[in-house]
Amino acid sequence: MNSAQIEIQLIASLVAIACAIPGTFLVLRKMAMISDAISHAILPGLVIGFFITQDLNSPLLILLAALSGLITVVLVEQIQQTGLVKEDTAIGLVFPALFSIGVILIAKNANDVHLDVDAVLLGELAFAPFDRLIISGTDVGPKSLWVIGSILTVTLGLLFAFFKELKVSTFDAGLSASLGFSPVIIHYGLMSVASITTVGAFDAVGAILVVALMIAPAATAYLLTTDLKKMLLLAVFFGVLSAISGYWMAHILDASIAGSITTMLGFIFLMAYLFAPSKGVIAVIYREKQQRTEVSLITFLLHLKNHSEKSERHVNHLCEHINWQKVRAKTVLDLAQQNNMIIIDNNIVSLTDKGDAFTTQAIDYIITNEDAQIEDMKDDFFLFRG
Amino acid sequence: MAQNIAVKVDDLTVAYNYKPVLWDIDLEIPEGVLMAIVGPNGAGKSTLIKAILGILPPIAGSVTIYGKPYKKQRALVAYVPQKGSVDWDFPTTALDVVMMGTYGSLGWIKRPRQKEKKAALEALEKVGMLAFKNRQISQLSGGQQQRIFLARALVQNASIYFMDEPFQGVDATTEIAIINILKELRKAGKTVIVVHHDLQTVPEYFDWVTFLNVKKIATGPVKDIFNDDNLTKTYGINYKVSIQE
Ligand SMILES: Nc1ncnc2c1ncn2[C@@H]1O[C@H](COP(=O)(O)OP(=O)(O)OP(=O)(O)O)[C@@H](O)[C@H]1O
Ligand SMILES: [Mg+2]
Repeated sequence: MNSAQIEIQLIASLVAIACAIPGTFLVLRKMAMISDAISHAILPGLVIGFFITQDLNSPLLILLAALSGLITVVLVEQIQQTGLVKEDTAIGLVFPALFSIGVILIAKNANDVHLDVDAVLLGELAFAPFDRLIISGTDVGPKSLWVIGSILTVTLGLLFAFFKELKVSTFDAGLSASLGFSPVIIHYGLMSVASITTVGAFDAVGAILVVALMIAPAATAYLLTTDLKKMLLLAVFFGVLSAISGYWMAHILDASIAGSITTMLGFIFLMAYLFAPSKGVIAVIYREKQQRTEVSLITFLLHLKNHSEKSERHVNHLCEHINWQKVRAKTVLDLAQQNNMIIIDNNIVSLTDKGDAFTTQAIDYIITNEDAQIEDMKDDFFLFRG
Repeated sequence: MAQNIAVKVDDLTVAYNYKPVLWDIDLEIPEGVLMAIVGPNGAGKSTLIKAILGILPPIAGSVTIYGKPYKKQRALVAYVPQKGSVDWDFPTTALDVVMMGTYGSLGWIKRPRQKEKKAALEALEKVGMLAFKNRQISQLSGGQQQRIFLARALVQNASIYFMDEPFQGVDATTEIAIINILKELRKAGKTVIVVHHDLQTVPEYFDWVTFLNVKKIATGPVKDIFNDDNLTKTYGINYKVSIQE
């Protein structure tokens, strides 16, 4: 690896981390769409900032652009508060308007501005290492690295300082307000961080990848954990993983880096969506099947418990009596036998002591829904797990 | 009988998007009562509580807690929101939700420590939910979620408790468990204000009641004002509730 390659991966990783943090809270607040709005609506601020500073990395430009991101948020909320339209409609009204103002500003001044819409949307990570920051004659690294590094440092500082405030206001805005943590202030704080991160990152990676980096890793992490801290860590991890694997995919295929990273983000999300241990599609299907079998098992055991007469307990009759198909009846019979809950003697099925105790316990649970009694059964049976 | 006034509401009008949903409310809640707020759906019960707690800004009127504005008295007040107002899929555990009750006394930036955790565990124990402390909150039943909310209010160790429908969707056992805790709070001299829908149980559970429907209809001791007349005024249909002595 040459130093430009390392720098590109470093920039992409820092962008990924800086995006994953506000992204996690946006996902939890069901505000994924707003990041899309911000990423487009910063354009007019960016263009105006560029007219003034002639430098895409100047702090003034970043602030101006972030401000137009915040204006988007305010406008969306104002329109929404009239009660005439829903939030997504309000978003759809605001950001195309702001974005097109930006596009017109660029088109009108195309001659003296080296800034084009493609670059804004897609960015060009491959060129990032060429724009160096020179301090009194010494080359200290690519400018975007410094920009995103500073933003990330601030974001991390804010996250550590205000983690509990972010958590409580995201979970329960009413409680947060009554405790004195104004949800409005926290909301705008988060929106400011999201806006500034978007602006700081867009130059390197483009607006589309910024949105993807904010939302996809957080959405992936959401499928895998039930702990906010772990969700943040996982989101960061998936962001960085996509950034680096996306970079190498682009390298091998000779494709766009931003496009490859977005593809990796989508791929990783898909994997989690399918294979996540408890929320994944496959786990859900498996669990439902398992639950069906277990309900059948208990029904079957209950039938045995309630009928002492032999005719009701003959293997061949059982299928008819409980009205099951052969396959299902066999699965249930096997399962019960494996767990030593029944014995079959001369084709007559009877409950073992264990089976008898289990049935009583299971029925108890179903009726009382009391947890303590079945803690020890949980490992064997899905039905009793939450 | 000269009693302290815990909560005083003067000429309070509250609106959503400039459309008032509460008109000119005057209310005095004496210290140490266990009070029900009753009224039909959409009467503004939740709105009244939110306005008292400064969650919604009123367009007119004022609220004082022991004679001072709410902002100065936050530490004295605990709030249990309506259960449906939060996202129960949020990635957090029962214990963590209860810990949130301690955030107010911590203030900005400071984090909960061992002391706060201990208080949260005690509150969980009190509502009979200690065994569930590490459960993700979406894996709790409705009644268990309500108990968690109650524990979170208990941990605030306040003087005044506002609870928005704590009996919503709970079974008889949980309801009795909750009301016993509320009665204990009253015995300890606390003031408890509960939005309540089951009119049958008002005389049994509460000693004070406020009838609300956009305007305040009546407020006072249950034995004096909980009658068919006020119920009819509040709910608009003829009510016959026999109050058991
Ligand atoms: N966020 C909101 N925006 C606009 N109107 C609202 C909002 N919240 C409540 N309202 C309206 O204000 C009125 C009072 O609502 P509130 O929630 O206070 O009623 P409630 O008495 O608590 O009813 P419930 O018994 O159903 O909980 C209702 O007409 C409701 O439609
Ligand atoms: Mg309500």
